[in-house]
Amino acid sequence: MSLININRLREVPIKLLWAVAFLVFISLVILKSISNHYSDGLVYTPFFKQLIILIPAIFILLCFIFLPRYSIHKYAYILFLFGIIIVLLPFFGDTHAKTYRWLYMGLPFGIQTSEFAKVFTTLALARYLSDHTLKMKKFSSVIIPIIITLFPTLIVMNQPDLGTSIVMMAPILPMLYWAGARPFYLFLMIAPIFSMLTAFHTLSFSIWALFLGSIIILARPTLIIAVFLFFGNIFFGLLSPFAWNTLSEYQQNRILTFLNPEKDPLGVAYQIIQSKTAIGSGGLFGKGWGQGTQTHLKFLPVQESDFILSVIGEELGFVTIAMVLLMIGYFIMQIIKFAFLSKDRFSSLALIGIATIFISHVFINTAMTVGLIPVKGLPFPFISAGGSFLITSFLMTGIVLKLSGNYSD
Amino acid sequence: MLKAENIASQRQYYFTISLLWLLIFILVFRYFQLQILNFDKYSKKANTNRIRKVTLSAPRGLILDRNGKILVDNIPTYILNAIPGELSKRDEKFQFIADVINVDHDVVIKNFQKYYRGRFIPTRLAKDLSFEQISKIEENKLNLEGIYYQQFPERAFPSSVNASHILGYVKEVDRDIRNALQRKNDYELGDVIGWSGLERSYENSLKGMHGIQFFQVDALGREVGYVDEFPPRDPEPGGDIITTIDLGIQNHLENVIADKRGVIIVGIPETGEILGAVSMPDFEPDLFTGRITESDWNQILNHPDKPLVNRFNQGLYPPGSIVKMITEVALLENLNFNPSDEFKCDGAFQFGDRIFGCWYTKGHGNMNLASAISLSCDIYFYKTIKYYDFDKLSSFYKMFGFGKPTGVDIQGESHGVVPTTDYMNKRYGRSGWSRGSLLNYCIGQGELLVTPMQVFNYTNLLATKGHTQKPHFVKNKALVKTDTLEISNDIWDKITNDMEKVISDEKGTGKGADPLNVNAKVFGKTGTAENPHGEDHAWFIGWMKYYEKSFSIVVLLENSGSGGAVAAPIAKNIFDKIINSTKNI
Repeated sequence: MSLININRLREVPIKLLWAVAFLVFISLVILKSISNHYSDGLVYTPFFKQLIILIPAIFILLCFIFLPRYSIHKYAYILFLFGIIIVLLPFFGDTHAKTYRWLYMGLPFGIQTSEFAKVFTTLALARYLSDHTLKMKKFSSVIIPIIITLFPTLIVMNQPDLGTSIVMMAPILPMLYWAGARPFYLFLMIAPIFSMLTAFHTLSFSIWALFLGSIIILARPTLIIAVFLFFGNIFFGLLSPFAWNTLSEYQQNRILTFLNPEKDPLGVAYQIIQSKTAIGSGGLFGKGWGQGTQTHLKFLPVQESDFILSVIGEELGFVTIAMVLLMIGYFIMQIIKFAFLSKDRFSSLALIGIATIFISHVFINTAMTVGLIPVKGLPFPFISAGGSFLITSFLMTGIVLKLSGNYSD
Repeated sequence: MLKAENIASQRQYYFTISLLWLLIFILVFRYFQLQILNFDKYSKKANTNRIRKVTLSAPRGLILDRNGKILVDNIPTYILNAIPGELSKRDEKFQFIADVINVDHDVVIKNFQKYYRGRFIPTRLAKDLSFEQISKIEENKLNLEGIYYQQFPERAFPSSVNASHILGYVKEVDRDIRNALQRKNDYELGDVIGWSGLERSYENSLKGMHGIQFFQVDALGREVGYVDEFPPRDPEPGGDIITTIDLGIQNHLENVIADKRGVIIVGIPETGEILGAVSMPDFEPDLFTGRITESDWNQILNHPDKPLVNRFNQGLYPPGSIVKMITEVALLENLNFNPSDEFKCDGAFQFGDRIFGCWYTKGHGNMNLASAISLSCDIYFYKTIKYYDFDKLSSFYKMFGFGKPTGVDIQGESHGVVPTTDYMNKRYGRSGWSRGSLLNYCIGQGELLVTPMQVFNYTNLLATKGHTQKPHFVKNKALVKTDTLEISNDIWDKITNDMEKVISDEKGTGKGADPLNVNAKVFGKTGTAENPHGEDHAWFIGWMKYYEKSFSIVVLLENSGSGGAVAAPIAKNIFDKIINSTKNI
């Protein structure tokens, strides 16, 4: 027994874990700095909580290493159903700040079930795309994968949690691309969204229309289809300001609030300015551990999770930030590499899906701290404090380690 | 299982990798831009200008009497805050503050812990500082880094009246209260919220809206000005409310009842407006503004007379004879009943094996309905119970608003008890009570319990022949009509005539309430309610027509004897006052 176990460990591409170890180390260092100002005692500090959560997280990672590879494939659909059930469960509980994101099971903490559901959705998608030798050159082949993803996404969107539902939708494009779908079709999938959004700005809309036209001409469909696609999109775009205006102000506000929950301009602008000031004043080497004046202003309400990069930027400087970003980039690149080298299609697609989840979190979180995109509450992998996503990150790493190992089973 | 081969091409691989690094480098570049290229700008901003968000309390709206005289006002006081993150040598500073404001060191620490919400959020240390104390703090500002003071509007009561049960009080919002609120974001720790009386009922109009200021603070924690990007938002004061209270009448009521226990309500029957209402004993209205010591507080809380209880809304009393007009309606609604038929009162009446007495033990002699009302004879009503049954009488009680809250705009009304046969069966069992209960019931005794506010509403209904509005304390709101009573005009006229005789008849029990003014005509009814807990409660209800105006009144004095002897003279005293000052109403 023990011999097999050791062999299994040897198969694992250990160097991936060095990147994880580095990121977790940085996380603990910076959480310790934040925790120094807590007066309630060690047990309540984010540092201590993070340490505690690492125990189940590492345990789950090990579980996946010792799991037979085929079982991930075998149970992918069951896990997907389980994922849907757990994102529905919070709706039967009490609201938490008017949302249904958290599942309480008599525990002192809540579980954000959508974090797990997005991994399960990705696995189900990978299985569907690998089990069926689809003619990916046909547009109709992308319909079922979209439905698979849309189902849990719509539930999560109603929790409401726009950030997580975006991450949940994100893997579908790279996975379809990886499975051989024509990039042109993938482009057509997202084209209507751009048509709608640019329609509110004449210049953007003109540029978009030109771009859309060029792409359609390059893809060389039949004339009728080309005309239909082009004018369909333009019509869609032109219709949307009209549709918008028929909504009452109250309904418009609800949509705006949904897209940007912290609509209060004072609130958002204030957080972003605080974050940028903290980061900018850090400079090359930072102000030193525990010395961040801006960070400890506590004006950023979630500095230990959503805005943790601002703390790193201020106290440890650009050098550390660059190292963190390059390290997570290296980590994700390795996953993509394994996806390319993988012998079977299921592993390849699952790995690409997981890589996409990681990159979405990294990009949305980081871009938010520097004011590139509106504030969305998504954590940074391995660094942000917060149980559900930390455990999910380790769970995904466990899957990566398993699927990218050698092929002894 | 995993038979499908990987078909990813090199092109797909390189494209995906390039996309990944493109995104990573956008992020790295953006950090480079902020941290290296714009370092000077942000460094300066961070070191010399920190931004602090300070909320400013909005003064609550004023509460005015019907003539615009101020009942509840605001006075500016000072509160002392600390920014925990800027405090060094905390104990030393707290000790200094405790010495300046003359409290124990622990009190300051306790406050600090109570209000703490974050290292850079202003945390309250003390309130109600005088100008002199603030001056002392200001003189030592250099030693008190991290300590700030702020103006804070506090409730003040400039008028001569207490009216404590009407006005109510405000309470400081603490963590528990805030967590229980629906509109959490409208309140911060240390704000005040209306907790009883009108302060509570009209919280939304009185409250106002926080102001917000963003201060730039230099490295020493000194405020150097506003932040240009964020203009300050001024606090919006709450809206004033105009009550129906007449300051003069309210003042007079409080003086008249002085050291007795009981309730007086005076109002205008047509509109349901309340000109004055007292529940005695009461308390000083500034009891809750924070200066009270714990022992004083306990004394009030544990006082046997329960001064905190709002008797006009929550007190439950047997009404006694003041509700005989309801029995009168029940009789007159029966067409077989003839009001001029006479029944003899011997002072006692045997029903089954029990003897029921009249309050006038010598006996009133031959009585008809009118004289039974004006002399408040009990035997007459015992002898006429065959004209209605238990539930019929209950339905008339309910018609006159008993057994349910009146809907007055002060919360916490009791329902009272109107017994029905169901109620009696439940309480005593089917065979545990007899028809004799109806004898108690018809003269307002027994299980029946009423609140003075219900009695006020009942009095208004009698005075307006069923066309009054719900009792209320605040003007300018849409008046709510009470349900119309389906009682014929003949019956109303009969009741009005009988109630006039209570006052004008030679032997009328309410004679003592007559102000003896040629222009004033008074209608009324006395009541002497037996209660199991001691002396009888004295009641007087009625209304006065003075020129074309009318004024209704309810007087209740706990455990003080007969209505005619005790309550009626107080009503007269108040009618006199109204006559003397009526031009102001």
